[in-house]
Amino acid sequence: MITHHSDERPDELQQLAGEYVLGTLPGEQQRAVQARLQHDPALRAAVDAWEQRLLELTTLAEPQQPSPQLRQRIERSLDSLGSPAPSTSRQPADSWWNLLPLWRGLAGAGLFASLLMALALLLGDPPPATPTYLVVLVAPHSQAPGWVVQASDRQQVQLIPLGETVIPADKALQFWTKADHWQAPVSLGLVKPGQTLSLPLDKLPPLEANQLFELTLEGVQGSPTGKPTGPIQFIGRAVKVI
Amino acid sequence: MSLPEPGFDYQGCLAACAQGQRQALRELYDLESARLLGVARRIVRDSATAEDVVHDAFVRIWTGAGSFDPSRGSARGWIYSITRHLALNFIRDGARLVPAGEEDEPVSAVSEQQPGFDLQARSAKIFDCLDQLEPSRRSCILHAYVDGCTHAEIAQKLGAPLGTVKAWIKRGLSALRECMG
Repeated sequence: MITHHSDERPDELQQLAGEYVLGTLPGEQQRAVQARLQHDPALRAAVDAWEQRLLELTTLAEPQQPSPQLRQRIERSLDSLGSPAPSTSRQPADSWWNLLPLWRGLAGAGLFASLLMALALLLGDPPPATPTYLVVLVAPHSQAPGWVVQASDRQQVQLIPLGETVIPADKALQFWTKADHWQAPVSLGLVKPGQTLSLPLDKLPPLEANQLFELTLEGVQGSPTGKPTGPIQFIGRAVKVI
Repeated sequence: MSLPEPGFDYQGCLAACAQGQRQALRELYDLESARLLGVARRIVRDSATAEDVVHDAFVRIWTGAGSFDPSRGSARGWIYSITRHLALNFIRDGARLVPAGEEDEPVSAVSEQQPGFDLQARSAKIFDCLDQLEPSRRSCILHAYVDGCTHAEIAQKLGAPLGTVKAWIKRGLSALRECMG
């Protein structure tokens, strides 16, 4: 998580920052720079300077009048957000979703799915159809199960609490998913502790085996960046039910 | 030609957004949406996707306005950076519908003035500095920044080997930094 780049020469840092702003870095490097920006002031300063240097090149793109629907779409999205997140001047040191070892370690958590599948199916009110995918979301450290995600088709998921989750009053739980080949998690919205939720996945690719689901602790309005920023509370991967 | 609105207080606008004043974002939209859409459209090459990018950009401007830090650069620059990087993320995720190289631009000789870049009558320093670059290096920088092209796409456009394009970009960036300070 702590990355030292003491062997990096100043002109290498400038090149990296310049290519990051140009957009020519390969995807993986681009994401690595994004992650480093959170905790590397020298790189951040270099990137900021390049953004300013090149900004006027945006005037080379011919303006294009947006469709009348775009304004309404934005307004609707803002309505669903409520008021903006309270000002926070600092981002967390790193984005957990960039941490490969974490994802690898979680593969083991899939074991819980098989152990808890029976339990989940016994939890009263069975869904109308047999679930085809099941995810047990466990706490990262204790591995204690907290929620179950089940899907009876690949376009709709249900999130079911297994117990009482206590969160600070000024925080909210945000629900995310990420398939293996996606670059970053996608928000499925805010979840109240103890709430059962049914969510359409129609804006996303169909649910797939091993797809990751997690709940993170975010500000009351959800992550300000659109990506998880707070600590993971519960996490697990989708298992296909035979 | 699209230049910033001289009288508009971009930083004040972000401060108002951070306070939850929806009207401030509407004013920003009126002022900048067409330019931002143009920037996004050029990178993602598809109007519908470009509108998705601008939608996401305005949501992010709204939710992130409170974290804008004026010591790191101009408010207007911040807005454009958000939009460009969202557009770049879209194409890196494989969402670009028209692959680079399949649009109207011919694969042209390196020294040729690239169509689509009208550098005439531009007063900003960057254009003076670009003017001093060798044409091949200039083309690389512009195709990357304005069109969101990868190294490989630029190589294809310019009919040059990949390694050469990488070197041109490297030297182009060094020269620009030297020229602009």
